[in-house]
Amino acid sequence: MSSNDKCSNDLGLTLGMLTLRIWLGLRAIQTGIEKFAGSGKPIDSAVLMDGAPNTYGLTESTSAKVYAISNYNGVPTPLYDKFINEPLIPEFALNIYNVVLGPALIILGLTLLLGIATRFSLFLMGLVYTSLTFGLILIKQDAGIAWLGVHIVMIVIALALAKHNRFAILKKW
Amino acid sequence: MDFELPRLSRREFLSKSSIGAGLVLGTPSILKAKAPGATGDDIRVGFIGCGKQHEVLFNAMVNIPGIRYVAACDIMKARVGRTFSAIKSRFDYNINRYLSAEEMLEKEDLDAVFVSTPDFWHAPHTVMALEAGCHVYCEKMMSNTIEGARSMVAAMDRTGKLCQIGHQRRSNPRYQFVLNELIQKENVCGQIINLNGQWNRALSSSQDIVSKPSILPEAEILREYGFNAGADHTLNLEELRHRFLNWRFYTDLSGGPISDLGAHQIDIFNWFLGTQPKSVMASGGRSYFKDREHFDNVMCIFEYETPLGSARAFYQVLTTTSSGGGYYETFMGTDGTIEMSEREAYTNIYKESGADSTKWDELVRRGLLKKESAGVAAGGTDAIASYESAPPDKYALPGGLSKQPHTPHVENFYGAIRGDTKLTCDARHALESEAPIYWVNPAANSHEIINFTEEHLHT
Repeated sequence: MSSNDKCSNDLGLTLGMLTLRIWLGLRAIQTGIEKFAGSGKPIDSAVLMDGAPNTYGLTESTSAKVYAISNYNGVPTPLYDKFINEPLIPEFALNIYNVVLGPALIILGLTLLLGIATRFSLFLMGLVYTSLTFGLILIKQDAGIAWLGVHIVMIVIALALAKHNRFAILKKW
Repeated sequence: MDFELPRLSRREFLSKSSIGAGLVLGTPSILKAKAPGATGDDIRVGFIGCGKQHEVLFNAMVNIPGIRYVAACDIMKARVGRTFSAIKSRFDYNINRYLSAEEMLEKEDLDAVFVSTPDFWHAPHTVMALEAGCHVYCEKMMSNTIEGARSMVAAMDRTGKLCQIGHQRRSNPRYQFVLNELIQKENVCGQIINLNGQWNRALSSSQDIVSKPSILPEAEILREYGFNAGADHTLNLEELRHRFLNWRFYTDLSGGPISDLGAHQIDIFNWFLGTQPKSVMASGGRSYFKDREHFDNVMCIFEYETPLGSARAFYQVLTTTSSGGGYYETFMGTDGTIEMSEREAYTNIYKESGADSTKWDELVRRGLLKKESAGVAAGGTDAIASYESAPPDKYALPGGLSKQPHTPHVENFYGAIRGDTKLTCDARHALESEAPIYWVNPAANSHEIINFTEEHLHT
């Protein structure tokens, strides 16, 4: 293999690794942020008929999406209600997980995106997704398990490409 | 020497002091003097009956400004206490509590009274309050007897006071819009030939009401208030209390499910068609709750003669199943069907495949309708083409109600007291609509069609 070929091949793998970091990082950050999302106070406005507010008092209700600490829900309520009934998930552990999950996803997403201890970040992210998979196995959510499996495969590929990691703040670990 | 000052009510004091001031300062003061209950003056409100329906009404009116709650009465002390606490905690003032409506009406200076007592007390309480000079909002059904309902209309006429009946859909903007715009003005249904309505309740929602015995009235009080009416033996305390809590099950105390639940929706049939039915046939039975005096399930058919031709309305009230999607009134015409309900979730509008699409598209463009989806055939190998009709397109109302369902009706009542509007359901119009309902149980009992005459329906 010529040095030109090797160089271009390295560039492809470097960009591949960077793409995976961006995808997995954004995926984790935004998933974490969405756990702080909720609906704002609904605003009622008169329905327009023939271009003017109707005289009957019919209203349309709209509410904007807002982010707030008070909206935080680590494990969505429908899933929480199912997990709480699972004998293999102790309530105290579920409550800790509920608190930690959102911040963990945001922190791991940021470290991966910025390239801080990329391999450990990937590994920890893999553990988070594995823990989610464990919960979904218990409640028989096969589609969700498969979806998380795709994430795990992407993490493994990223770990395999770790030696091509560039544009990173802390390359160690 | 003992002097007794003349007792002036707040109203009399305001009225007389205004006239006095006017005499001193000149005519303009008299012209500015406000009539009782006029805009800018709080409406003084009392409650007769503080049970479940009172709570619904109270919750519907707590955000309406310009109201001063003055007094409440109920023969059950705990209920009056609950109303007292609710008003105290929300408005931070005290109301006066009574166990007797007569005493409350005699001692208090009230502009308006809400009657939410059992059906067999509606007429006596309403007449009593009207004659005491109060405007009255009385829950439906007007009375357990048509004679009682007629006495309410007579009292309203005699006293000149307002008497609103709690058919709250009459003030609901969604219903008013559908009737005025979609049915009458735009004629989206075409000729309405069939109507269908129901209120189906699951067994779990139809069970006996129970309560802690220590807070319930004693036998003597319950007898005094007629809860033993129609009994064929002397009732013991337990039986009386069962009647007190479950008066809807007893023929001498209420009209049963067809009146409790059906009255709202049969009222809509009559209101939307703008006429009273010509006849009723009915069937009912004590099919599950065998020890109840009223039928637990009733089905009936009203026949109408409208300017466009004859129409039939089927109505069922079932207390043993929630099947069929809750409660609604459906108006089926040659061009379209409007399935109305107080619940937005049960409201749907359908366009027949043969109806003028250009007209419906124009209604969507103008904002009078929302198109939800095009008709989709059910399909499947069991479909036989020659049996099938083309599926209708589905539409929705362009908006909803952003308040509790009872709020507009209470607002209408207060608005009428202030002279800003007319009642949407005064006692006379309510009875025109309710009168046919009183004949459903007799028709079911006799298994005979009742052809209505003036004698059946007059108000």
